Amino acid sequence: MMAFYFSRLMEIFPFFLKGLWMTVQIAFISLFTCTVLGFFLGIFRSGQNRFLKWFIGVYVSFVRGTPFVVQVFIIFFILPEWGIQLEAFPAALLAMAIMGSAFICEIVAGGISSIPKGQWEAAASSGLTMTQQLRLVILPQAMKVILPPLVGQYVLLIKDTSVVSVIGVMELTRVGWVTVVRIPEGLMVFSLVGILYFVISYPLILLSNYLERRMAV
Amino acid sequence: MENMIEFKNVHKWYGKLHVLNDINLEISRGEVLVICGPSGSGKSTLIRCINRLEEIQKGEIVVNNTPVHDKTVNLTRLREDIGFVFQQFHLYPHMTVLQNITLAPVNVKKMSRKKAEAIAMEKLEQVGLTDKSGAYPGQLSGGQQQRVAIARGLAMSPEIMLFDEPTSALDPEMIGEVLDVMVNLVSEGMTMCVVTHEMGFAKKVADRVVFMDEGKIVETGKPDEFFDNPKTERAESFISMILTH
Ligand SMILES: Nc1ncnc2c1ncn2[C@@H]1O[C@H](COP(=O)(O)OP(=O)(O)OP(=O)(O)O)[C@@H](O)[C@H]1O
Ligand SMILES: [Mg+2]
Repeated sequence: MMAFYFSRLMEIFPFFLKGLWMTVQIAFISLFTCTVLGFFLGIFRSGQNRFLKWFIGVYVSFVRGTPFVVQVFIIFFILPEWGIQLEAFPAALLAMAIMGSAFICEIVAGGISSIPKGQWEAAASSGLTMTQQLRLVILPQAMKVILPPLVGQYVLLIKDTSVVSVIGVMELTRVGWVTVVRIPEGLMVFSLVGILYFVISYPLILLSNYLERRMAV
Repeated sequence: MENMIEFKNVHKWYGKLHVLNDINLEISRGEVLVICGPSGSGKSTLIRCINRLEEIQKGEIVVNNTPVHDKTVNLTRLREDIGFVFQQFHLYPHMTVLQNITLAPVNVKKMSRKKAEAIAMEKLEQVGLTDKSGAYPGQLSGGQQQRVAIARGLAMSPEIMLFDEPTSALDPEMIGEVLDVMVNLVSEGMTMCVVTHEMGFAKKVADRVVFMDEGKIVETGKPDEFFDNPKTERAESFISMILTH
């Protein structure tokens, strides 16, 4: 029986590859948008503007304090209320961007505030503008602190893409769900799903470990 | 003589703490001013106001005819003319000595890298560190780091150099090499404002000494007069304290 199901599974393997491709798309588009947004938010979070700091703080707390699956539902169900019709795929990307950028914001803000005030002051005193101070003096130093947890966060984001299966995006986890109805070997099906996730996240885990070791010195 | 820096009735508070209390001070072009006083008297705050690292709540500071704390002031333009040397050096640890020195000329003055490097080498020669141009700050002694910091300030060809206790973080055997560099600057006619307790330096090159206590300028005088015959009791007890140190 096992062998029979296994050959059935192999027959529909292309279906898994399609799911994998969807997961990879969501993951990498999200890594990109979350990084850009997260740096942007993180920079303002560690900046001078009191209101912006407070506002971003509230945003981050809200995102960190609610389950991602609930956030996905809220976005998927609230937008139509406001007259915005989003397909599952863009809704998933939006939810990922909101969630991921909040976590990356905290990592970036932490990295920036780890740099002594004197570095800002020295750079400012020599006439560099605020943006130049940040770009030329602060961020290059802060990256050492930011990079290891950032890559760790990437691994988490890749795994969190599985949550968007709840709104019907045909990514890896959803493919697993759909398959298990036809091939009732749950362990076999979800082992395959797990292996495929691992294939994309493992290189990043290695990178994260490497950075951790390199930045430690 | 032409005024380079002018404080007019300047007040500053940190919450309830009155850190600068009605400061009036004029520093003319080419003058070397030494500021001293007990810890917490507001010396750092005072010189940090000159390049607007600090805001003020009342009064006015004019540097080179520019009202420093005016809303419309071009901070970059203002700071191009003012070099600042910190007690803790604050070199950029991720850059070589040469990169530290050329950063502002290239990015603020938009100088070509080649020209900026030529100037940097000139300034390194002036502080006696040409052989360290490729080193990182972490590979240098405190005295060497501070001399690089001075070269970094000089590379912008400022009209004013501000020093906030430039030798206080140094081991005693390195103080001399930094003071020597500063003495040489004086002979170039640089306008200098130096927070320091180095009496030898003050007596040798300062035109005036300003003594601060509790946010006020308590006494001003020629270095010899001030250190040998202080007029106020507070200055007297302060001087005897640094002498016994
Ligand atoms: N950012 C700040 N917030 C609140 N109080 C401050 C701040 N910076 C300085 N102060 C206070 O202002 C007073 C003056 O500080 P300042 O650093 O100007 O003194 P100083 O004369 O340079 O002393 P020192 O010789 O120790 O360097 C001190 O009482 C200090 O505690
Ligand atoms: Mg001080």
